[in-house]
Amino acid sequence: MILLDKLYEWLDVRINAREVVARELTGYLLPRNINAWYSLGSVLLFIFALQVVSGILLLIYYVPDADKAFTSVATIMNQVPFGWLIRMCHAVGSNMMVLVLLLHMLSVLFMGSYKRPRELNWLTGFILLSLVQAISLTGYLLPWSQLSYWATTVATNSVGAIPVIGQFLVEFLRGGKQVGPHTLGRFFALHVALIPAGIAALIGVHLFLLKRTGISSPPFGRSDTSNHWTGESYHYEKHPGGIPFFPNYLLEDLRSISLYLAFFLAVVFFNPYVFFPSAAFVPANPYLTPAHIKPEWYFLANYQTLKIFPSEIIGLAVQGLAMTFLALLPFIDRGAERHPLKRPVFMTCTVLGLLLWIGLSIWGHYS
Amino acid sequence: MNYFSLSKKNGMFVWTLCILAALTVLARPVPALSAENEIVCLQCHANLPEQYSRPVALWRASIHAENGIACNNCHGGDPKDMADAMNPARGFLGVPRQTEIPAFCGRCHVGVLKDYLASAHGRALGKRGPTCVTCHGNHRVVKASLDLINEKSCSSCHSYERAGAIKAAMQATEAMLLATDMRIAAYKQIGADTDRLEKGLFATRNRFHTLFHNVDLTRIKGETAAIRAEIQKIDQALARLDQVGAQRRKAGAAAVGASLLAALLFHLLRKTYR
Amino acid sequence: MEDEARRRFLGVCLGGLGAAAAGGVLWPVYRYLTPRSGDEAGRTFSMAEQDLPEGAVKFFDFAGSAAVLVRKKGGELVALSAVCSHLGCIVQWDKARMSFVCPCHGGQFSTDGVVLAGPPPRALAKLPVSVAKGVITVG
Repeated sequence: MILLDKLYEWLDVRINAREVVARELTGYLLPRNINAWYSLGSVLLFIFALQVVSGILLLIYYVPDADKAFTSVATIMNQVPFGWLIRMCHAVGSNMMVLVLLLHMLSVLFMGSYKRPRELNWLTGFILLSLVQAISLTGYLLPWSQLSYWATTVATNSVGAIPVIGQFLVEFLRGGKQVGPHTLGRFFALHVALIPAGIAALIGVHLFLLKRTGISSPPFGRSDTSNHWTGESYHYEKHPGGIPFFPNYLLEDLRSISLYLAFFLAVVFFNPYVFFPSAAFVPANPYLTPAHIKPEWYFLANYQTLKIFPSEIIGLAVQGLAMTFLALLPFIDRGAERHPLKRPVFMTCTVLGLLLWIGLSIWGHYS
Repeated sequence: MNYFSLSKKNGMFVWTLCILAALTVLARPVPALSAENEIVCLQCHANLPEQYSRPVALWRASIHAENGIACNNCHGGDPKDMADAMNPARGFLGVPRQTEIPAFCGRCHVGVLKDYLASAHGRALGKRGPTCVTCHGNHRVVKASLDLINEKSCSSCHSYERAGAIKAAMQATEAMLLATDMRIAAYKQIGADTDRLEKGLFATRNRFHTLFHNVDLTRIKGETAAIRAEIQKIDQALARLDQVGAQRRKAGAAAVGASLLAALLFHLLRKTYR
Repeated sequence: MEDEARRRFLGVCLGGLGAAAAGGVLWPVYRYLTPRSGDEAGRTFSMAEQDLPEGAVKFFDFAGSAAVLVRKKGGELVALSAVCSHLGCIVQWDKARMSFVCPCHGGQFSTDGVVLAGPPPRALAKLPVSVAKGVITVG
């Protein structure tokens, strides 16, 4: 302990560490009525870090070659000590990342935190969601199983519905007419280099914006729940008399992360196979389409939307519109009220939208 | 001029090729609707009177149909040419005579033919002994199983007593084979490396199948005991996998428990800061 | 003050749990990164005797590193590690002088692996070799 104090002292006289701690940790005050939902961002950071570490470990044995990829993954799963654990953590973790991201978004939606002046926070968050979906999609191909191969075929195929340039885009994405070794090469580069770097950078922007605007206070447990930002000048949202980030809220973050870990590890150890249909363990065969190929659960609604419209282009357009609407929500919903129960129209739309998404996903799963 | 018109023709040819190629590419997603719709045998026979159309219906339910073994694979002939489909010059064999049946089937089932010919059944060929179809049926040939040894079939020639004893001797082994097969399949489903186990079981199953045409009870008893020992070895390997799975679940329970404990401790620590 | 004591207790508990968790994470990662021993052990290299005439050498992979077989003048067979004892480069065969030369710093070895010249501190390691029914086996 004394050694640590000395080290801190040593650092302090050089870089004034005390001031940084006072400003960013102990003096960084959060609203008193802050709730557990606010810790989902930290959980997501933790998941991302875990994905990066497990991903780097997998890179040691994975071979990004269409002839060897499947065997290399099978070797990781069966021969390399604890390879199964690291692979399962990575695969289950990707699903968890999407799940927690959706919960994070929902909490922001219900607490009205996306409203001005936090439009950019919402927008960067939305782009992060898209990037996470992209990294999941590209990672899905890498084991080169039947599931990988055909899910990627179906997913890239849907781009073909875009008029005029659709077919070109499909071939550009695949690096050829069909999903093949070239697709693996480019998906691998995207998955391990470009998209992770993009996600890391955007997380930086997301946090920078959060720090500049100040954290929003939840609309619960107070009488005045409307938004007072006028938009005339920059205003940092302070919370005088609030709780310090360190140690108070950091402990809540750690509690949430531990709870998440318990859930995550339970899936990893007891039933990771909810995310692995048996086609995931059969090597890719471009000449044999397995029956009932389905995308991952978070793409099921998109998949079903494409199927229910008579033409793919309409299905694609509807999805595009829905996504654009969601991305631009803070610019469309400009009301001052933030409490969900005082926003009946918003609540109805959100709940119905959510039910529609769940319904389409279930329909997609069973169709 | 001449040169020009030729090149124009060539142009047309290239275009046609392109269109054809495009059509083939377009047609590819719908895979060729299996061999059966292409062969003329079925097209014709399905519409003939009962006597000639029955084999078609029977065959459709057979393991041969399931594996894409069509009429011509046994009966010969040209399945693509309506007029010459049954021309002996095109290799058409027609219906084999009673004594020719084992050789007819044995063209593919080589090992089985050998086993059959060496058995009491095979030695009685042409002396009112049974042929392949006596037990397996014709056209509607299903996957061989011990059910083929039954009182009705066997007692049409001799008493069932000995056949029943043979069946009883084989039943336990068959059940073991099936059970082990299912366990391996379950591990395969979750990505375990079952290659070596599958190969082992395949070899053992083949060894078991060579007994199917043997009617020597003592030999069957000895062999099935040896085969059961082989299966037990595979079962032991599976038991080791079970053990590894149980260990992993224990470690998992500890990890989940530790996480929950950490959550509780963090919660309590948080409570001390008011 | 009661809070203080409680914090210290919880801190110790969390510290212990954290140490256990670190072990639980680092052990699998360490095992994952450790090359599996016994992977290459027990492997032998063999070739037909007639493919190695007098004065010829054969380089091959043995137990994960380079090795070489020499048939000396007079027919005697020697199997050596081809890794130079100086800095680990792979020695080359100099047919004219019937000796091994390391291309890195000019170390020279005889066909028995003995250092003839240059910086190498030790002879090349000898490997067990046997001949049976016209087949040479190393290992």
